Amino acid sequence: MLGVRRAPGPPPAQEVATGMREILRNLMRRKVRSALTISGIVIGIFALTTMGALAEHFNSLLNVGVQFAGTSIAVRPPAEQANGLLPLSTQAELARVPGVAAVYPTYQVSADPSGTAIQLGAPSIVDNEQRGVSAYGMPAVRFGAGRDLGVDARGEVVMGSAMASSYGKHVGDTIDLPVAPKHPRPDFVNHRFTVVGILARSGTPIDQFASVSDDDARMLLADTLPPAMRSAVDVDTLAQGFAVYAAKGTTLAQLDAIAQRINDTVPGVETQKPSDQVASFESTSTTFTAVFTGAAMLALVIGGLSVVNTMIMAVGERVREIGLKKALGAHTGQVLRDYLLEAAVIGAVGGLAGYGLGLGLTTLLNVLGSASNLDIFLVTPRLSAIAIGFAVAMATVAGILPALRAARLDPVTALRSL
Amino acid sequence: MADIQLVGLTRRYRQGSHTITALDGVDLRIASGEFTAIVGRSGSGKTTLLDVAGLLLRPSAGTVLLDGEDTAGLSDGRRADLRARRIGFVFQEYNLLPALTVLENVVLACRYGGGDRRDGRRRALELLELVGLERRLGHRPDQLSGGQQQRVAIARALVNRPALVLGDEPTGAVDSQTSDELVALMRRLNREEGVTFLVVTHDLELAARTDRIVRLADGRIVSDDRTSLAASA
Repeated sequence: MLGVRRAPGPPPAQEVATGMREILRNLMRRKVRSALTISGIVIGIFALTTMGALAEHFNSLLNVGVQFAGTSIAVRPPAEQANGLLPLSTQAELARVPGVAAVYPTYQVSADPSGTAIQLGAPSIVDNEQRGVSAYGMPAVRFGAGRDLGVDARGEVVMGSAMASSYGKHVGDTIDLPVAPKHPRPDFVNHRFTVVGILARSGTPIDQFASVSDDDARMLLADTLPPAMRSAVDVDTLAQGFAVYAAKGTTLAQLDAIAQRINDTVPGVETQKPSDQVASFESTSTTFTAVFTGAAMLALVIGGLSVVNTMIMAVGERVREIGLKKALGAHTGQVLRDYLLEAAVIGAVGGLAGYGLGLGLTTLLNVLGSASNLDIFLVTPRLSAIAIGFAVAMATVAGILPALRAARLDPVTALRSL
Repeated sequence: MADIQLVGLTRRYRQGSHTITALDGVDLRIASGEFTAIVGRSGSGKTTLLDVAGLLLRPSAGTVLLDGEDTAGLSDGRRADLRARRIGFVFQEYNLLPALTVLENVVLACRYGGGDRRDGRRRALELLELVGLERRLGHRPDQLSGGQQQRVAIARALVNRPALVLGDEPTGAVDSQTSDELVALMRRLNREEGVTFLVVTHDLELAARTDRIVRLADGRIVSDDRTSLAASA
């Protein structure tokens, strides 16, 4: 019987290995052409990886911002107010607003007011610790070393991992905050703190923060006031703002409603709707994503065109081989698969090389820049998968037309071509 | 092994405004185990006959019967499957894949034959030993002589135990001594393994060493004679 029905299923491992050997040897037959094609992909994926790592870093910072903005309400003095301070008594008024679960006074001073270091990430900040906010949906902090501040402790500080690394501090060391500039003014004041804890690296702005008690924060705030104000103002009755929390699980819309109620009922303060802040962060994130997408388009154009060109030439050179395979019984689909696989291999080789170069460069730059808080690249598993997957997909798509051309060749004409 | 029948084969081509009739109602039966040569001038239709018999080309009329089964209505995929399992090819220019070794070139035919891969590899090794290339398994085609490459091609043509091996000027690209060796090899395979050969050739010495010579002219069979070799067998 002639019933030789055969459904070509997935090839066994040995056949795949032979097929891969054939592809690699075919690439090596045209070393210069293959190298140039792969280089085009390498350049594109290198750009994608490095730009993507930059975007991932800034997006991770923004995501923390979204998390904070979407979990708390920042209460500030009205914009037109010159001194930017609120009475501490406002805390009780805020606590009475329906929906409010907790209110914390907030204090923030620059840890390095001279600003000699270039900051491409979050600035180094000293703030007051908000103990227990994880109960309201904020992410819990994890310690890499040491412990939390003692209750009502004075002279203690918990540092973020990047800040501790920048200043070379460990648990038990002391640090003078704020950090004195090279040539401090005669009236410059700072205070000695003991490092009792260092947070685990989180990849967020928190890595650049140092937290002290409320009393120590007010002390540092007082040092930042103009000399004429310091004696006239009792900082123990003041706050720079308040962080308002609702119960865990409160939606963004509900937080917006609470913020509106605060604006409507508590005098002398203003809030921004959390959803507006979230939108602002997300809009900025979109910008970075657009940069990343631009890099991807660059990779697509450079790499894709070179693969199309290479595969067209490969098919043209191997017309007789294609005719032979068809004479031996290859189906149209099998020829198509062989050439698509070849294109995919080109993409994979270029993608892995480009990704490897990008990973290497960003890692090196991060290591070199970490001391100056310039570790600004973040290669995530998602980015890695996108970079390599994109290279393979792009090359495979670029190989479709040449592969179709190969698959549709008439075997008789192909076998007898010159 | 199987009988091959070409029934009323006609093949026409359009060439500009003209229609060329390359085959004109050819009837031919190849019995199992025969060694047949197709001879004729250039343009007589030899190569077209081979292409149609090998299911590479569809006839304009007529059909090819393999073991009595009509191949005319088969799809391209089924025809490809039949070529893989039932027909072997030996070409004038060898047509080995330069990126594959000798063994890989022979095993290549198993990729499309659908049989057991290990059996195919075993068979490939046996055939390469039979054709005297057991020490060249890892060589690439560009490391072989023309005669050696053609031996590889013959082994490849036989690896799936085909019903029929079609040769298109199999000795056309080699010198006379190599040609003798190749013909002797094919003859041996025909006698000892019972392989059915149908070869197109200009080589009259090769033709004389077959069992049967079919002469074509203008797309028709003008003579079909058994050779003295066959007569004395």
